[in-house]
Amino acid sequence: MPAETVITDRGAPALRTRLLVAVLGPLLAAAILIGVVGAALIADVVRRTNDRVLAGALGAIAETVQVERGEVTLDLPAAAFGMLENTERDNVYYRVAVGGDLLTGYADLPAPDPATLAVDVPRYRFARYRDQPIRIAEVRRSLPRIDKPVIVQIAETLDNRGALTRRLMLALLIGECVLVGAAALLLRPALGWSLRPLSRLRGAVEARDKRARPDFSSLDTGPLPSELRPLAGAFDRLLAQLDTATVGVRRFTADASHQMRTPLSVLKVQVALARRGSEAERRDALDEIADVAVRLERLVTQLLALARAEEAGVSAPLEAVDLREVAAAVIARQINQAIRAGVDLILEGDAETRYTVAGHRTLIFEILSNLIDNGIRYNRRGGTVSVALQAEDARIAVVVADDGPGIIAAYREKAFDRFVRLGSANSPEGSGLGLAIVRSAATRLNATVGFVDVDRGTAIILRFAPTPS
Amino acid sequence: MRILVIEDDAALARSIAALLRAGGNAVDHVATGEDALAVVAGEPYALVILDVGLPGIDGFTVLETLRRRGERVPVLMLTARDALDDRVRGLDLGADDYLRKPFEPEELEARVRALGRRRGGDPLPMLSVGTLTINRSTGDADIAGRALDLRRRERAVLEALATRAGRVVPRELLIGEVFGFDEPVGGNAIEVHVTRLRTKLAPDGPGIRTVRGVGYMLDAG
Repeated sequence: MPAETVITDRGAPALRTRLLVAVLGPLLAAAILIGVVGAALIADVVRRTNDRVLAGALGAIAETVQVERGEVTLDLPAAAFGMLENTERDNVYYRVAVGGDLLTGYADLPAPDPATLAVDVPRYRFARYRDQPIRIAEVRRSLPRIDKPVIVQIAETLDNRGALTRRLMLALLIGECVLVGAAALLLRPALGWSLRPLSRLRGAVEARDKRARPDFSSLDTGPLPSELRPLAGAFDRLLAQLDTATVGVRRFTADASHQMRTPLSVLKVQVALARRGSEAERRDALDEIADVAVRLERLVTQLLALARAEEAGVSAPLEAVDLREVAAAVIARQINQAIRAGVDLILEGDAETRYTVAGHRTLIFEILSNLIDNGIRYNRRGGTVSVALQAEDARIAVVVADDGPGIIAAYREKAFDRFVRLGSANSPEGSGLGLAIVRSAATRLNATVGFVDVDRGTAIILRFAPTPS
Repeated sequence: MRILVIEDDAALARSIAALLRAGGNAVDHVATGEDALAVVAGEPYALVILDVGLPGIDGFTVLETLRRRGERVPVLMLTARDALDDRVRGLDLGADDYLRKPFEPEELEARVRALGRRRGGDPLPMLSVGTLTINRSTGDADIAGRALDLRRRERAVLEALATRAGRVVPRELLIGEVFGFDEPVGGNAIEVHVTRLRTKLAPDGPGIRTVRGVGYMLDAG
């Protein structure tokens, strides 16, 4: 399944490596632990089982030890050795002694210290006999009228125990190896199978990639496992965001190109007229061409300003801006335009008050510039545009008012939309962008912008967010 | 011919009017749909140039209203929009032609001439009355190969009469077709042009008869 392999050159280790380390490491450690504990258990069980057999034989012999006429007698039962007979290899030794005297059996079998033996309680121990390790079961009996302790011992070599232990250990080891090996072998296909929904997800994303037009609708992945659902969800949300942004850009470019078409038409017609007409007609055409060039220039500038206003201030921290200084700067820049239009420009504000707001100077400049420009443009000769600074409580505001024809209340809602021009036939050519720029920039500054009801003309108020004093 | 331009952008309206006036047409201009609906009924327009993106009543609504009233005047729509739907919608509402901004001035002129010819019921650019031949595309006229040197207004009067050769053209209709409503029309304005035309058509061209109290007629054949 090469498609599933997630190997990066310098990136994080592949998922299979991670899983191998995460699963096989602990599995191997567990196997070793189980081996060690198992080995101890096996040794214990084998010892106990064989000891019990040994104990049976010991008991059978010890039973037959009797006192007859003051003499200790013994009738060795064949069955006692029969119990031990399944051991083909092991040698069996026994010894019965009264005090230090051998009654029967192997005299040199290692004898216990009778004092350490409790009466009738069998004891087991390992020892060496004839250069071989052996297991001895021994018991002390106390017989009537016999004052010496009677010791009964039976012993066997350890070959059978060793063989049994080895066999059990081998079985355990094989079992463990099979388990770990199977886990290691299954890991790869299991990973592939588990990651199949992921590759389906990738397929869905790649299918998008191949479309000619970007498609930002939700991914069609079919049912996904719960682990992948958050990823797919996050991806879908990202797509939705992209969709919104792209729609915005697309609408903006469409609107912008739409807005360029009319002045370009004027340009083309006037160029044609200038080419064919008389000297006077050519002069008229050139005047029109100059006008339309100014208009196109303003449109482009405003489009850029709008794009800047929508981008700017997203991350930059607000700074303290002296509103009076900015207003004065804007007025200084636009005073010539006002003089040409025969409009008075006035800055009003309390001389003692400091009008400091939190914002970006560029954006505030842009806002005031557009509001004042509108005030001059949609005004009459002899009219006035006033820029009034206000401070109420902690809130600072600026009202830009003109005494021009004003905007019908019903149209005010639309006034802040892009490319909406409310003018009638005689109004000057505007781009319909000024108030859209104002609103966009105000939003960036956490300021609000709206119309103020006035008897004459238009008044727009820009309210800044309260400054923490 | 007499053309109404409905366009809210003053600069573009001025430009189109200048272009079409240079081609010998009488051009009126209104900036809103409301004004357009008010003037169309009263004047004998040969063509309406209608911008789709008007403030207030939009171009589509203006067109729809005109057609509902039974106005048959040819309508050429101007639009800044790119969408095919818009063009289809405009044509289906009864527009005769469609031009997208920014347009080539030559194309606008050619489409205006074509629509004007079709309105007269004769789509051929060459118009012949006896020995008189008028090229309605170029505005040139000649009599048996002798080129006539015509002024703009004379050309308009001649064309208006020639398309109705053999029929009396009422004086008011002639004034309506030749002059825009913001152009000063003197009491004998038409007479002056007709008199000059008579001189230029003589001796081998068709004559222009005065029908007293009614209007004028160009002799057919």
